[in-house]
Amino acid sequence: MFFAPLFKDARYFQIIFQCEFLAYGILSLGWNAEWGLYLTYLAVSIATQLVAETMLSRVKNNTYPTANKIKNGLPSAIISSLGLCLLLKTNDLSIAALAAFISIASKYIIRINGKHIFNPSALGIVAAVLLTGNAWISPGQWGSGAVILFSVLCLGFIITTKVQKSDTSIAFLGTFGGLLFIRQVMFLGWSIDFFVQSISTGSLLLFSFFMITDPKTTPNHAAARIVWAMLVAAISFYLTTFKFINAAPIWVLVAMQPLVPLLDKFFKANNFSWIKYNRHYVSRKKTYKAVVIPKQ
Amino acid sequence: MKKKLIIIGAAIIAAPLIMSFCGFYVSKADGTLKNKTSQVILVRDGNKTVITMYNDFKGDTKDFAMVVPVPVVLKKDDIKVVDQSIFQRLNDYSAPRLVEYWDQNPCYGNEALMDKALSGKVAGVQLNEVVVSSAYKKKETVKIEAKYLVGEYDILILSAKESSGLKDWLNENGYKIPANAEEVLEPYIKSNLKFFVVKVNEKEKQKLNNNFLRPIQINFNSPKFMLPIRLGMANADGDQDLIVYAFTRKGRIECTNYRNADMATDKNVPLFIQKNFNSFYGNLFNHQWNNEDKAVAFLEYAWDVSPQNYYHCDPCIATAPSEQDLIQSGVWWLGNKDWSDYSDVDNQEEDNGSKNVHFTRLHFRYNRRSFPQDLQFQVTPNTATFQARYIITHPATGDLSCDAGKKYLQELKQRRKKELATLSALTGTNINNWQDDATAKNDEETNPEVQYATLLPQVKSDSGQQKNLPAGMIIISAVLLGGAGLMRWKGIV
Repeated sequence: MFFAPLFKDARYFQIIFQCEFLAYGILSLGWNAEWGLYLTYLAVSIATQLVAETMLSRVKNNTYPTANKIKNGLPSAIISSLGLCLLLKTNDLSIAALAAFISIASKYIIRINGKHIFNPSALGIVAAVLLTGNAWISPGQWGSGAVILFSVLCLGFIITTKVQKSDTSIAFLGTFGGLLFIRQVMFLGWSIDFFVQSISTGSLLLFSFFMITDPKTTPNHAAARIVWAMLVAAISFYLTTFKFINAAPIWVLVAMQPLVPLLDKFFKANNFSWIKYNRHYVSRKKTYKAVVIPKQ
Repeated sequence: MKKKLIIIGAAIIAAPLIMSFCGFYVSKADGTLKNKTSQVILVRDGNKTVITMYNDFKGDTKDFAMVVPVPVVLKKDDIKVVDQSIFQRLNDYSAPRLVEYWDQNPCYGNEALMDKALSGKVAGVQLNEVVVSSAYKKKETVKIEAKYLVGEYDILILSAKESSGLKDWLNENGYKIPANAEEVLEPYIKSNLKFFVVKVNEKEKQKLNNNFLRPIQINFNSPKFMLPIRLGMANADGDQDLIVYAFTRKGRIECTNYRNADMATDKNVPLFIQKNFNSFYGNLFNHQWNNEDKAVAFLEYAWDVSPQNYYHCDPCIATAPSEQDLIQSGVWWLGNKDWSDYSDVDNQEEDNGSKNVHFTRLHFRYNRRSFPQDLQFQVTPNTATFQARYIITHPATGDLSCDAGKKYLQELKQRRKKELATLSALTGTNINNWQDDATAKNDEETNPEVQYATLLPQVKSDSGQQKNLPAGMIIISAVLLGGAGLMRWKGIV
């Protein structure tokens, strides 16, 4: 692949694409660029990440975190804060700070079997909307222009294939879109453009390719992952269509994430690591084997 | 160099809530330039919605009929007729506005300030109407759920099992339904919507002794917060304008299935716009609408209009809607609760006792192509204020021969060139099209050097700018990827 040699860690691609979406919104869709809000998200996310990392090292080993450890954690914090920039709206910076804090802190506090449970940005969004009542999601902020449809699909796909989790996106989008098609076009008899309008909203595509795909908070086993994504899609469809809940997928995602450790228990597979192509990682494994086997 | 008023203006823009400034206004655009403009008042809190539909049907009232899909069977108490004038008041109050400032002569002290008021035109409105001529008859697939006489209207609530039956029923009963309406009726029926069918009761109408039809107000409980526009599109040719005046307790409303955009605001425009503000705003709306790819909800006004909130506008272009107007519009939480009325006893919405009222004005221009779905909304906690506001500045008068005066003229020249460029960019028209307006005699301008007509040829038309998206995106991508590549090469990531 063209991009393959550029980064070994796919998260850098994700940061680039998220920046592009933000730029698209500000430059082309005429959003009011709320730099104060964006900076708050970014600063609080990174600060929380650093503090949590430090506290963890102090408690565990009574040392300070290594530079590598910090470098490894930063992209995740940036991704989470960009996710908040793209989806969560508020006029109150303290709420923004709270959302960013909850996002990152949840990664360190709510953990089972070495995996955090909640997608950081999704949890931050849900917590801010629920707890404060003074933040909101704007499903209509993207519109449904063909440009965004095209770019989200392409860019999102590159990322997801890089981390080999495009199956989650496809399972979610396929199920959600399929159910909507059955309901809107086949059952209710709306014309095709009605259906296209429903699925080509930027928010839905952004969710499908950048949020539900987070490999750290989806089941490790491929089959379990697909079933889980389909379940998220089916419940989202029900809430959207029959309960008229806006931005349902994000709520459902957060509600369904506690199921992931359970699925991981029954469907055994290797934990995901972001730096899977890293040479050091591979060679260390080999050395480990080489040392252990002669001893037996 | 004194520019006192302009500085005041800047402070207001920065802090609209703290510093309010009622007075210097000139004119308002009715914002409605299409012949077909509907106006609707939406009031929403919890699951309760009140919809008020303006009615400016101009023909023989015998020919009037209206079909509106509603989510539930309405009770008689849920239907009212209200005073027509509230629409006028809401429109006047929330319409895009032109603000006027005066420069002070830098060579002398204060000049007297004055304000002028020009009145806007009344919005033309037409709701989804069909033609009616004979009496009702029943058919099996169509069920009359309820039948009421409210004010001057005969009202039927229909439910149907299949669209062709409903279509036949409506046709047989004299409601002329357009041929392509069936494509919309079927999904509505299958979504379990009821049909609110209205026509005029001639007897009652004659008693009223007026020559207009009053707006109909309905209220119901449903989690659906939407406005059906598709049925109206079926018999509409081309674009239709819709202005939504929304009132909520929490904050602004937003469209959830189309894009929301703020109307261009706080722009300095040439002085001559004052003469024809309506056509200026018409051009501007049309240009912005095309620019935003049409499928868009334009925000024209958002403000806290709670009766206890003193600062209602900045500047006011009309009297603020009174508490009585708001209650008439359907803002039920302002009125005294009628304790003998138990009809809302099982309402799930919590009555938090708050008397806040947030006013949002959205402007749509829809057509079948760009708007395949009905409009869906959500109430957000966004309480930020917004108004579509355009600024003109009168030049200083008198002798400007002092040094400061000469400097002022230079600045004025630059400012006016900028105003002309803004005008061209906002309306998307070639700058030369404004030649006539610019050359028209304006007695305020004494110095020919700074007259718009003189400056106009010096300003290059920059209409057709914007739309720089693909180039911009490519540049951003290149910069990001380049930066990333560099970081990789240097071993930073």
